[in-house]
Amino acid sequence: MEVTLKILRFDPLKDKKPRFQEYVVEVYEYTRVLEALIWVRENLDPSLSFRYSCRMAQCGSCGMLIDEVPRLACKTLIKDLGRDEVTIKPLPKYRVIKDLVVEMDDFFEKHRSVKPYLIRKNREEQEKPKKFYVQLPHELQRYLNYGYCIVCGLCSSSCPNFDSSWEYLGPQALSQAYRYIVDSRDEGFEERYEVLNSNSGVWRCHFASECSENCPKGVEPAQAIQMLRRMILSFSFKKKLSLFSEKIHRLSKQ
Amino acid sequence: MERVWKWFAIRGRSVNSIAYSFHRITGIVLLIYLILHLGFLTSLRFGESLYTAFISTTVKPETLPLDSLLFLATFYHAFNGFRVVLNEFGLFYEVRRALIYLMTLLTLIFWIYSTYLMYTYVVR
Ligand code: HEM
Ligand code: FES
Repeated sequence: MEVTLKILRFDPLKDKKPRFQEYVVEVYEYTRVLEALIWVRENLDPSLSFRYSCRMAQCGSCGMLIDEVPRLACKTLIKDLGRDEVTIKPLPKYRVIKDLVVEMDDFFEKHRSVKPYLIRKNREEQEKPKKFYVQLPHELQRYLNYGYCIVCGLCSSSCPNFDSSWEYLGPQALSQAYRYIVDSRDEGFEERYEVLNSNSGVWRCHFASECSENCPKGVEPAQAIQMLRRMILSFSFKKKLSLFSEKIHRLSKQ
Repeated sequence: MERVWKWFAIRGRSVNSIAYSFHRITGIVLLIYLILHLGFLTSLRFGESLYTAFISTTVKPETLPLDSLLFLATFYHAFNGFRVVLNEFGLFYEVRRALIYLMTLLTLIFWIYSTYLMYTYVVR
Protein backbone atom coordinates (compact mmCIF):
# COMPACT_ATOMS: atom_id res chain seq x y z
CA MET A 1 0.00 0.00 0.00
CA GLU A 2 1.24 3.50 -0.81
CA VAL A 3 0.99 6.22 1.79
CA THR A 4 1.84 9.91 1.51
CA LEU A 5 3.77 11.35 4.42
CA LYS A 6 3.05 15.04 4.72
CA ILE A 7 5.88 16.35 6.87
CA LEU A 8 6.18 19.83 8.34
CA ARG A 9 9.74 20.85 7.62
CA PHE A 10 11.78 23.77 8.87
CA ASP A 11 15.42 24.54 8.34
CA PRO A 12 16.42 27.67 10.27
CA LEU A 13 19.25 28.36 7.83
CA LYS A 14 17.00 28.35 4.75
CA ASP A 15 13.34 28.71 5.69
CA LYS A 16 11.57 31.72 7.08
CA LYS A 17 8.48 29.69 7.90
CA PRO A 18 7.79 25.97 8.34
CA ARG A 19 6.54 24.30 5.14
CA PHE A 20 4.96 20.97 4.27
CA GLN A 21 6.77 18.48 2.07
CA GLU A 22 5.23 15.26 0.80
CA TYR A 23 6.85 11.88 0.31
CA VAL A 24 5.23 8.76 -1.07
CA VAL A 25 6.22 5.61 0.78
CA GLU A 26 5.39 1.95 0.25
CA VAL A 27 4.16 0.51 3.55
CA TYR A 28 3.21 -2.92 4.85
CA GLU A 29 0.91 -4.12 7.55
CA TYR A 30 3.50 -3.64 10.28
CA THR A 31 5.32 -0.55 9.01
CA ARG A 32 5.67 2.01 11.75
CA VAL A 33 5.92 5.74 11.21
CA LEU A 34 9.57 5.72 12.27
CA GLU A 35 10.44 3.06 9.71
CA ALA A 36 8.77 5.10 6.99
CA LEU A 37 10.73 8.19 8.05
CA ILE A 38 14.00 6.26 8.03
CA TRP A 39 13.15 4.95 4.57
CA VAL A 40 12.50 8.49 3.33
CA ARG A 41 15.80 9.69 4.71
CA GLU A 42 17.74 6.81 3.18
CA ASN A 43 16.06 6.80 -0.22
CA LEU A 44 14.45 10.14 -0.95
CA ASP A 45 15.75 12.98 1.15
CA PRO A 46 18.86 12.76 3.36
CA SER A 47 18.20 16.24 4.73
CA LEU A 48 15.14 15.18 6.71
CA SER A 49 15.84 15.46 10.46
CA PHE A 50 14.19 13.53 13.27
CA ARG A 51 15.28 11.94 16.52
CA TYR A 52 15.21 8.31 17.48
CA SER A 53 17.36 5.79 19.19
CA CYS A 54 15.86 2.59 20.59
CA ARG A 55 13.03 1.98 18.06
CA MET A 56 11.11 0.14 20.78
CA ALA A 57 9.30 2.77 22.84
CA GLN A 58 11.97 2.83 25.52
CA CYS A 59 14.18 5.86 24.97
CA GLY A 60 11.45 8.45 24.44
CA SER A 61 13.27 10.25 21.60
CA CYS A 62 10.85 9.89 18.71
CA GLY A 63 7.84 11.86 19.99
CA MET A 64 6.09 13.82 17.25
CA LEU A 65 2.65 15.02 16.26
CA ILE A 66 1.23 12.31 14.03
CA ASP A 67 -2.18 13.13 12.56
CA GLU A 68 -2.53 15.89 15.17
CA VAL A 69 -1.96 13.55 18.13
CA PRO A 70 1.35 13.40 20.02
CA ARG A 71 2.68 9.86 19.54
CA LEU A 72 5.90 7.89 19.46
CA ALA A 73 6.86 7.34 15.82
CA CYS A 74 8.40 3.96 16.62
CA LYS A 75 5.22 2.68 18.29
CA THR A 76 2.64 3.95 15.82
CA LEU A 77 1.59 1.55 13.08
CA ILE A 78 0.71 3.41 9.91
CA LYS A 79 -2.08 0.91 9.30
CA ASP A 80 -3.71 1.91 12.60
CA LEU A 81 -4.00 5.52 11.45
CA GLY A 82 -6.34 4.25 8.73
CA ARG A 83 -5.48 6.92 6.16
CA ASP A 84 -3.41 7.10 3.02
CA GLU A 85 -2.08 10.51 3.94
CA VAL A 86 -0.30 10.91 7.26
CA THR A 87 0.54 14.36 8.60
CA ILE A 88 3.67 14.56 10.70
CA LYS A 89 4.66 17.67 12.63
CA PRO A 90 7.14 18.37 15.41
CA LEU A 91 5.80 18.12 18.98
CA PRO A 92 3.89 21.29 19.83
CA LYS A 93 4.88 23.61 22.72
CA TYR A 94 8.61 23.10 22.16
CA ARG A 95 10.91 25.23 19.99
CA VAL A 96 11.69 23.57 16.68
CA ILE A 97 15.42 23.14 16.01
CA LYS A 98 15.03 21.53 12.60
CA ASP A 99 12.20 19.61 10.93
CA LEU A 100 10.86 17.19 13.56
CA VAL A 101 13.58 17.87 16.13
CA VAL A 102 12.56 20.08 19.04
CA GLU A 103 14.48 21.59 21.92
CA MET A 104 13.55 19.92 25.18
CA ASP A 105 15.94 21.61 27.62
CA ASP A 106 13.14 23.39 29.43
CA PHE A 107 11.16 20.17 29.71
CA PHE A 108 14.13 18.29 31.23
CA GLU A 109 14.84 21.23 33.52
CA LYS A 110 11.28 20.99 34.86
CA HIS A 111 11.72 17.28 35.38
CA ARG A 112 14.93 17.95 37.31
CA SER A 113 13.27 20.63 39.43
CA VAL A 114 11.05 18.09 41.22
CA LYS A 115 14.12 16.05 42.27
CA PRO A 116 13.24 12.82 40.49
CA TYR A 117 15.29 10.50 42.68
CA LEU A 118 15.04 8.90 46.11
CA ILE A 119 15.68 11.34 48.91
CA ARG A 120 16.65 10.37 52.45
CA LYS A 121 16.46 12.90 55.25
CA ASN A 122 19.82 11.75 56.56
CA ARG A 123 22.40 13.38 54.25
CA GLU A 124 25.05 10.82 55.01
CA GLU A 125 22.70 7.98 54.21
CA GLN A 126 21.75 9.75 50.98
CA GLU A 127 25.34 9.69 49.75
CA LYS A 128 26.42 6.35 51.25
CA PRO A 129 23.52 3.98 51.90
CA LYS A 130 24.57 1.16 54.20
CA LYS A 131 21.67 -1.25 53.85
CA PHE A 132 19.13 -2.55 51.39
CA TYR A 133 15.71 -0.96 51.44
CA VAL A 134 13.26 -3.81 51.45
CA GLN A 135 10.06 -3.14 49.59
CA LEU A 136 6.87 -5.18 49.69
CA PRO A 137 4.81 -5.86 46.54
CA HIS A 138 2.01 -3.53 47.60
CA GLU A 139 4.54 -0.77 48.19
CA LEU A 140 5.85 -1.28 44.68
CA GLN A 141 2.33 -1.10 43.28
CA ARG A 142 1.89 2.41 44.66
CA TYR A 143 4.34 3.91 42.18
CA LEU A 144 4.85 1.26 39.51
CA ASN A 145 2.51 2.85 36.96
CA TYR A 146 4.30 6.20 37.21
CA GLY A 147 7.68 4.49 37.05
CA TYR A 148 7.02 3.50 33.45
CA CYS A 149 7.62 7.09 32.33
CA ILE A 150 10.23 7.30 29.54
CA VAL A 151 10.39 11.13 29.61
CA CYS A 152 9.30 11.44 25.98
CA GLY A 153 7.34 14.64 26.60
CA LEU A 154 4.13 13.58 24.85
CA CYS A 155 2.01 14.28 27.94
CA SER A 156 3.32 17.76 28.53
CA SER A 157 3.05 18.62 24.86
CA SER A 158 -0.58 17.55 24.78
CA CYS A 159 -1.60 19.59 27.86
CA PRO A 160 -3.83 22.50 26.80
CA ASN A 161 -2.63 24.59 29.75
CA PHE A 162 0.88 24.75 28.38
CA ASP A 163 -0.42 26.88 25.56
CA SER A 164 -0.91 29.77 27.89
CA SER A 165 1.37 29.12 30.85
CA TRP A 166 4.89 28.08 29.98
CA GLU A 167 6.03 28.12 33.56
CA TYR A 168 3.72 25.20 34.44
CA LEU A 169 5.83 22.18 35.41
CA GLY A 170 3.52 19.96 33.40
CA PRO A 171 2.21 16.43 33.81
CA GLN A 172 5.56 14.73 33.21
CA ALA A 173 7.44 16.45 36.01
CA LEU A 174 4.49 16.29 38.40
CA SER A 175 3.81 12.61 37.84
CA GLN A 176 7.49 11.89 38.51
CA ALA A 177 7.37 13.90 41.72
CA TYR A 178 4.46 11.69 42.75
CA ARG A 179 6.29 8.54 41.67
CA TYR A 180 9.09 9.28 44.18
CA ILE A 181 6.92 10.71 46.92
CA VAL A 182 4.82 7.55 47.22
CA ASP A 183 7.88 5.32 47.10
CA SER A 184 8.29 3.72 50.54
CA ARG A 185 12.06 4.39 50.39
CA ASP A 186 11.66 8.11 49.82
CA GLU A 187 11.50 10.83 52.47
CA GLY A 188 11.56 13.86 50.19
CA PHE A 189 7.99 15.15 50.26
CA GLU A 190 8.87 18.23 52.30
CA GLU A 191 11.84 18.99 50.07
CA ARG A 192 9.62 18.93 46.99
CA TYR A 193 6.67 20.64 48.66
CA GLU A 194 7.76 24.18 47.77
CA VAL A 195 8.03 23.65 44.02
CA LEU A 196 4.90 21.47 43.82
CA ASN A 197 2.81 24.01 45.71
CA SER A 198 4.26 26.97 43.76
CA ASN A 199 2.61 29.02 41.07
CA SER A 200 3.89 26.62 38.44
CA GLY A 201 2.94 23.52 40.40
CA VAL A 202 -0.07 21.25 40.77
CA TRP A 203 -2.68 24.01 40.95
CA ARG A 204 -2.25 24.84 37.26
CA CYS A 205 -3.93 21.59 36.22
CA HIS A 206 -7.53 21.88 34.96
CA PHE A 207 -8.04 18.17 34.54
CA ALA A 208 -8.29 18.07 30.77
CA SER A 209 -6.53 14.71 31.35
CA GLU A 210 -5.12 14.76 27.84
CA CYS A 211 -1.76 13.71 29.35
CA SER A 212 -3.13 10.35 30.46
CA GLU A 213 -4.85 9.84 27.12
CA ASN A 214 -1.66 10.33 25.15
CA CYS A 215 0.93 8.53 27.28
CA PRO A 216 2.43 5.73 25.17
CA LYS A 217 3.34 3.77 28.32
CA GLY A 218 -0.02 3.91 30.06
CA VAL A 219 1.17 6.24 32.82
CA GLU A 220 -1.60 8.27 34.47
CA PRO A 221 -0.16 11.74 35.11
CA ALA A 222 -3.61 13.30 35.49
CA GLN A 223 -4.26 11.02 38.44
CA ALA A 224 -0.85 11.68 39.98
CA ILE A 225 -1.47 15.43 39.95
CA GLN A 226 -4.79 15.09 41.78
CA MET A 227 -3.21 12.80 44.39
CA LEU A 228 -0.39 15.31 44.88
CA ARG A 229 -2.98 18.03 45.44
CA ARG A 230 -4.56 15.97 48.19
CA MET A 231 -1.18 15.40 49.83
CA ILE A 232 -0.27 19.07 49.61
CA LEU A 233 -3.63 20.13 51.03
CA SER A 234 -3.46 17.79 53.99
CA PHE A 235 0.20 18.65 54.63
CA SER A 236 -0.51 22.42 54.56
CA PHE A 237 -3.54 21.91 56.75
CA LYS A 238 -1.58 19.92 59.33
CA LYS A 239 1.20 22.50 59.28
CA LYS A 240 -1.26 25.34 59.84
CA LEU A 241 -2.99 23.36 62.57
CA SER A 242 0.23 22.69 64.45
CA LEU A 243 1.26 26.36 64.18
CA PHE A 244 -2.14 27.33 65.51
CA SER A 245 -2.05 24.91 68.43
CA GLU A 246 1.49 26.07 69.24
CA LYS A 247 0.23 29.62 69.39
CA ILE A 248 -2.66 28.63 71.68
CA HIS A 249 -0.20 26.75 73.85
CA ARG A 250 2.06 29.78 74.13
CA LEU A 251 -0.86 32.10 74.89
CA SER A 252 -2.21 29.79 77.57
CA LYS A 253 1.17 29.78 79.30
CA GLN A 254 1.38 33.57 79.51
CA MET B 1 -3.59 35.37 21.22
CA GLU B 2 -2.79 32.32 19.14
CA ARG B 3 -2.11 30.44 22.36
CA VAL B 4 -5.49 31.39 23.73
CA TRP B 5 -7.18 29.93 20.64
CA LYS B 6 -5.39 26.67 21.32
CA TRP B 7 -7.43 26.21 24.49
CA PHE B 8 -10.30 25.54 22.13
CA ALA B 9 -8.51 23.31 19.63
CA ILE B 10 -10.54 20.21 18.86
CA ARG B 11 -8.48 18.27 16.33
CA GLY B 12 -6.56 15.38 17.80
CA ARG B 13 -8.05 15.97 21.22
CA SER B 14 -9.88 13.43 23.34
CA VAL B 15 -13.36 14.02 24.70
CA ASN B 16 -11.77 15.02 28.03
CA SER B 17 -10.15 18.14 26.74
CA ILE B 18 -13.09 18.96 24.53
CA ALA B 19 -15.12 19.01 27.76
CA TYR B 20 -12.44 21.31 29.17
CA SER B 21 -12.72 23.66 26.15
CA PHE B 22 -16.50 23.78 26.46
CA HIS B 23 -16.22 24.48 30.17
CA ARG B 24 -14.03 27.45 29.42
CA ILE B 25 -16.34 28.73 26.66
CA THR B 26 -19.48 28.36 28.80
CA GLY B 27 -17.69 29.97 31.76
CA ILE B 28 -16.90 33.01 29.61
CA VAL B 29 -20.47 33.10 28.25
CA LEU B 30 -21.84 33.02 31.80
CA LEU B 31 -19.43 35.76 32.83
CA ILE B 32 -20.58 37.98 29.95
CA TYR B 33 -24.20 37.26 30.86
CA LEU B 34 -23.53 38.09 34.50
CA ILE B 35 -21.97 41.42 33.55
CA LEU B 36 -24.94 42.28 31.31
CA HIS B 37 -27.34 41.17 34.02
CA LEU B 38 -25.69 43.37 36.62
CA GLY B 39 -25.65 46.21 34.08
CA PHE B 40 -29.39 45.86 33.58
CA LEU B 41 -30.00 45.83 37.33
CA THR B 42 -27.78 48.87 37.79
CA SER B 43 -29.92 50.74 35.26
CA LEU B 44 -32.73 50.61 37.85
CA ARG B 45 -30.83 53.23 39.81
CA PHE B 46 -31.32 55.62 36.91
CA GLY B 47 -35.06 55.19 36.85
CA GLU B 48 -37.63 52.63 35.96
CA SER B 49 -38.06 53.80 32.37
CA LEU B 50 -34.43 53.06 31.48
CA TYR B 51 -34.71 49.61 32.98
CA THR B 52 -37.92 48.94 31.09
CA ALA B 53 -36.32 50.13 27.87
CA PHE B 54 -33.45 47.71 28.39
CA ILE B 55 -35.67 44.82 29.34
CA SER B 56 -38.05 45.31 26.44
CA THR B 57 -35.17 44.78 24.01
CA THR B 58 -34.19 41.42 25.47
CA VAL B 59 -37.29 39.94 27.08
CA LYS B 60 -39.59 38.97 24.24
CA PRO B 61 -40.54 35.74 22.46
CA GLU B 62 -38.01 36.29 19.64
CA THR B 63 -35.07 36.18 22.05
CA LEU B 64 -36.30 32.99 23.67
CA PRO B 65 -33.81 30.82 21.71
CA LEU B 66 -31.02 32.88 23.28
CA ASP B 67 -32.44 32.21 26.74
CA SER B 68 -32.57 28.55 25.88
CA LEU B 69 -28.90 28.63 24.82
CA LEU B 70 -28.02 30.42 28.04
CA PHE B 71 -29.67 27.59 29.98
CA LEU B 72 -27.69 25.10 27.94
CA ALA B 73 -24.44 26.88 28.80
CA THR B 74 -25.45 27.13 32.47
CA PHE B 75 -26.41 23.49 32.85
CA TYR B 76 -23.31 22.34 31.01
CA HIS B 77 -21.05 24.53 33.13
CA ALA B 78 -22.70 23.48 36.37
CA PHE B 79 -22.74 19.73 35.72
CA ASN B 80 -19.34 19.65 34.11
CA GLY B 81 -17.97 21.86 36.88
CA PHE B 82 -19.28 19.35 39.39
CA ARG B 83 -17.50 16.59 37.47
CA VAL B 84 -14.25 18.57 37.48
CA VAL B 85 -14.56 19.10 41.23
CA LEU B 86 -15.05 15.35 41.79
CA ASN B 87 -12.18 14.41 39.50
CA GLU B 88 -9.87 17.00 40.98
CA PHE B 89 -10.45 15.51 44.41
CA GLY B 90 -9.05 12.32 42.90
CA LEU B 91 -12.47 10.64 42.79
CA PHE B 92 -13.84 8.53 39.92
CA TYR B 93 -10.60 8.84 37.99
CA GLU B 94 -10.98 5.50 36.24
CA VAL B 95 -14.47 6.29 35.01
CA ARG B 96 -13.72 9.89 34.04
CA ARG B 97 -14.92 9.38 30.49
CA ALA B 98 -18.20 7.79 31.57
CA LEU B 99 -18.66 10.69 33.98
CA ILE B 100 -18.37 13.15 31.07
CA TYR B 101 -21.06 11.28 29.17
CA LEU B 102 -23.27 11.15 32.25
CA MET B 103 -22.92 14.88 32.90
CA THR B 104 -23.57 15.69 29.24
CA LEU B 105 -26.69 13.54 29.37
CA LEU B 106 -27.91 15.32 32.50
CA THR B 107 -27.17 18.65 30.82
CA LEU B 108 -29.27 17.70 27.80
CA ILE B 109 -32.18 16.44 29.92
CA PHE B 110 -32.25 19.57 32.06
CA TRP B 111 -31.83 21.78 29.03
CA ILE B 112 -34.65 20.19 27.04
CA TYR B 113 -36.98 20.25 30.02
CA SER B 114 -36.19 23.89 30.82
CA THR B 115 -36.68 24.92 27.19
CA TYR B 116 -39.98 23.05 27.16
CA LEU B 117 -41.10 24.92 30.28
CA MET B 118 -39.97 28.22 28.84
CA TYR B 119 -41.96 27.79 25.66
CA THR B 120 -45.11 26.47 27.30
CA TYR B 121 -44.98 29.40 29.73
CA VAL B 122 -44.55 31.98 26.97
CA VAL B 123 -47.23 30.41 24.76
CA ARG B 124 -49.64 30.42 27.68
C1 HEM C 1 -23.24 25.60 39.66
C2 HEM C 1 -22.44 26.62 39.41
C3 HEM C 1 -21.01 26.50 38.94
C4 HEM C 1 -20.10 25.46 39.09
C5 HEM C 1 -20.30 24.11 39.74
C6 HEM C 1 -18.87 25.92 38.49
C7 HEM C 1 -17.70 25.20 38.46
C8 HEM C 1 -16.52 25.63 37.91
C9 HEM C 1 -15.26 24.95 38.01
C10 HEM C 1 -15.00 23.65 38.76
C11 HEM C 1 -14.35 25.68 37.33
C12 HEM C 1 -12.85 25.36 37.17
C13 HEM C 1 -12.67 24.60 35.90
C14 HEM C 1 -11.25 24.26 35.65
O1 HEM C 1 -10.50 23.91 36.58
O2 HEM C 1 -10.86 24.31 34.48
C15 HEM C 1 -15.02 26.83 36.78
C16 HEM C 1 -14.44 27.79 35.98
C17 HEM C 1 -15.05 28.94 35.55
N1 HEM C 1 -16.35 29.33 35.83
FE1 HEM C 1 -17.71 28.24 36.83
N2 HEM C 1 -19.05 27.19 37.97
C18 HEM C 1 -20.33 27.58 38.24
C19 HEM C 1 -20.92 28.77 37.91
C20 HEM C 1 -20.30 29.79 37.19
C21 HEM C 1 -20.93 31.08 36.88
C22 HEM C 1 -22.31 31.53 37.32
C23 HEM C 1 -20.03 31.77 36.12
C24 HEM C 1 -20.23 33.15 35.55
C25 HEM C 1 -19.70 34.19 36.04
C26 HEM C 1 -18.85 30.94 35.96
C27 HEM C 1 -17.72 31.29 35.25
C28 HEM C 1 -16.56 30.55 35.20
C29 HEM C 1 -15.37 30.93 34.48
C30 HEM C 1 -15.18 32.21 33.64
C31 HEM C 1 -14.43 29.93 34.69
C32 HEM C 1 -13.01 29.87 34.17
C33 HEM C 1 -12.94 28.91 33.04
C34 HEM C 1 -11.66 28.12 33.00
O3 HEM C 1 -10.77 28.30 33.84
O4 HEM C 1 -11.55 27.28 32.10
N3 HEM C 1 -19.06 29.75 36.63
N4 HEM C 1 -16.35 26.78 37.14
S1 FES D 1 12.90 5.47 19.18
FE1 FES D 1 13.04 5.18 21.32
S2 FES D 1 11.02 5.63 21.93
FE2 FES D 1 10.82 5.68 19.80
